[in-house]
Amino acid sequence: MSQKDTLKIVIVGHVDHGKSTLIGRLFFDTGSIPEVRYREIEELCKRQGRSFEFAYLMDALEEERDQNVTIDTAQTFFKTKKRPYVIIDAPGHREFLKNMITGAASADAAILLLDGVEGVREQTRRHAYMLSLLGIRQVIVAVNKLDMAGYSQRVFQAASNDILAFLHPLGIVPSYIIPISASEGENIAKSLGKTPWYEGPSILDALDNFKNVRDEEGMDFRFPVQDVYKFDGYRRYAGRIETGSIAVGDEVVFTPSGRRTAVKSIEKWQKPDIQKAGAGECVGLTFEDEVFVERGEVLARYGLAPTPADELRASVFWLSNNPLEKGKSYKLKLATVEVDATLVDIEERFNSSSLEIIERHARQLETTEAGNVIFSLKKPIAAETYVENARLGRFVLEDGMIIGGGGIIREVRSAEGTPVRLLSLDERLATEPDGNQVDLTNLYGEVKFAVTPHFLSLLAKGDRVLFRLRDASQIGPVALLAFENNLGFTFRRERDEVSVVFYREKAASPVPASGEPVI
Amino acid sequence: MLDHLDELENQSIYIFREAYRKFENLAMLYSIGKDSTTMIHLARKAFFGRIPFPLVHVDTTYKYPEMIAYRDRMAGEWEANLIVGKNEEAIKAGMGPEKGRLVCCEALKTQGLSKVIDEHGYKGLFLGIRRDEEGSRAKERVFSPRDKNFEWAYKDQPPELWDQFNTSFREDTHIRIHPILGWTELNVWEYIQREKIEICPLYFAREGKRFRSLGCMPCTGPIISDADSVEKIIEELKTLRTPERAGRAQDQENAYAMQKLRAKGYM
Repeated sequence: MSQKDTLKIVIVGHVDHGKSTLIGRLFFDTGSIPEVRYREIEELCKRQGRSFEFAYLMDALEEERDQNVTIDTAQTFFKTKKRPYVIIDAPGHREFLKNMITGAASADAAILLLDGVEGVREQTRRHAYMLSLLGIRQVIVAVNKLDMAGYSQRVFQAASNDILAFLHPLGIVPSYIIPISASEGENIAKSLGKTPWYEGPSILDALDNFKNVRDEEGMDFRFPVQDVYKFDGYRRYAGRIETGSIAVGDEVVFTPSGRRTAVKSIEKWQKPDIQKAGAGECVGLTFEDEVFVERGEVLARYGLAPTPADELRASVFWLSNNPLEKGKSYKLKLATVEVDATLVDIEERFNSSSLEIIERHARQLETTEAGNVIFSLKKPIAAETYVENARLGRFVLEDGMIIGGGGIIREVRSAEGTPVRLLSLDERLATEPDGNQVDLTNLYGEVKFAVTPHFLSLLAKGDRVLFRLRDASQIGPVALLAFENNLGFTFRRERDEVSVVFYREKAASPVPASGEPVI
Repeated sequence: MLDHLDELENQSIYIFREAYRKFENLAMLYSIGKDSTTMIHLARKAFFGRIPFPLVHVDTTYKYPEMIAYRDRMAGEWEANLIVGKNEEAIKAGMGPEKGRLVCCEALKTQGLSKVIDEHGYKGLFLGIRRDEEGSRAKERVFSPRDKNFEWAYKDQPPELWDQFNTSFREDTHIRIHPILGWTELNVWEYIQREKIEICPLYFAREGKRFRSLGCMPCTGPIISDADSVEKIIEELKTLRTPERAGRAQDQENAYAMQKLRAKGYM
């Protein structure tokens, strides 16, 4: 588990629904505004003949202040007693969508802001959709400007129902829906008593409740080669471990070349003798055998490598002023790989605000539109679905010289068919307060299990292990696992979930006490 | 288990390696301050102890002598290739802050930088700016393209997401790379402490005063402080309520001074 101290939050929503004011208020209420800055803005506002404009704290460009809009994303910082925050301000205007996405892509959590009186508007919906495409799962909905509506519970309820109905099909379940007034400060740091009908947390309390733990280290090992250095007369493969971890001596394989070797050393400057490294670390690797692979290949543990893909099914959003055209070739950049990708089909083209399908099998996507598309790749690359591994499941597209859009992978296709993955049970085995679980719900493709002594000894002690399945198609390999290891199992069905409970029957054959994992 | 400083460090290393792979003929702007000194330490981490590009210092001739002495000593220690650039013409013509601070900054720093880039044909520059320093820097991209006239199109910047930076440009584009953009002033000091990075002595209090931000003598004033060690500076920062660049006179020239300077190529 990697523990981050700082939480990055993006604030999104329709233009004039109060994003900059909310940010200013957060600074003010947490005492994060330097006094000099505060006085400078006070002075500026006095000269312009208006009351204190919190928005000026973020909208630092002259054009932004003159026209009262946020043009580009900015980042600032504030602190609560619990932890520091980075705030990413995202412009609400449609023409600045690329700046909004630039800001939002790096966030851990989002506040979706809504004017309670105006209700859900075009950019509210578009931004919510972008949050779902960017994979941001921790969301607060803040219903703002309730001071303008006499803090009416009915107004709040109507706006909440409206936004929930829109978020539901996107798979966004807001953690909190909070009635606020950013300008007066109601429910920002605390309740001022104007919404006695609301019993939930303030914005700051809700933010403090968010988790900043990511389980990237618990995932399969992925190391995209970033560069190869020959500084000291030998080849060092430089890159960042995107997920999982690696140790000296581990058997590894490169995708797509298929080259196999073992890790000889893990190197960092002034850090001799590193035995193990994990997600997020930039390292240099050397190998037991002479390997000559290029930037863009992805190193994985042998048996747990991603599929080499030559066709991708993806959801894309388009930001460039030139349309994204069927039949054209684009440079697709994913992790450290760059590949020519031909857009062979736009299965669905839709309005990124209403999410209405405009057209099936369309010829092009216009700026700010989104679509479900198929790319054919000039050469195979290591790629995964976004659900399986976000780091290898998202990409950008170069349109001419600049990044014109991006997307996430829904399905990876390969001429060779999907290879069988070998999954170590220990890697998926978690012991929760309510028992042992193996979660296979985000696992796609065919799988074989590598049984570990730890797994067998758990069952030997009389513990049970619950396998949560994605769907009934996974029953086969799970049943085989039970059969081959002489285990009992029974089905459990709750709502839509399929799961299987493993146990060891009393009379069963003895467990191997130690030794190599049995496949 | 990575803490926040580890995350920032790894992110900076990733940016360095990405830029080094993507562009020929890079240089690093070295201002002698704590940020660019920290940036050099990160570059050495990225390239296993080396700095595989020259360090460029734009000398306005108005720098404190302690800064120059420190610069030359450290460059030797790092085995760096130090290039010192000057706008000789403007210096000979008597340019100075009395002609107007912004005019002076533009002539001696921006034009000085432009000259040294032209002379050496650098295609890209690493700069140690941070988003928390000042409003227009907060809007920057990690890889920020500039046109042939050095200008920053801050109203129409290309998108940048998921560590996918814009790396294809027209031949006459100049790229600025910002490896520590996401760091705060406090992060930099905590990292200096953790990594035991040697910084310019002017940052430490002498006779009740120290510099919080280093620049040219006429435009940079010290703050009142007794913080004479990195530990004490960190403690002091946690209570300070004034912005970092409050001691820099050019910033205070008018409300959008920095935005105007930066649109034309200032750091």
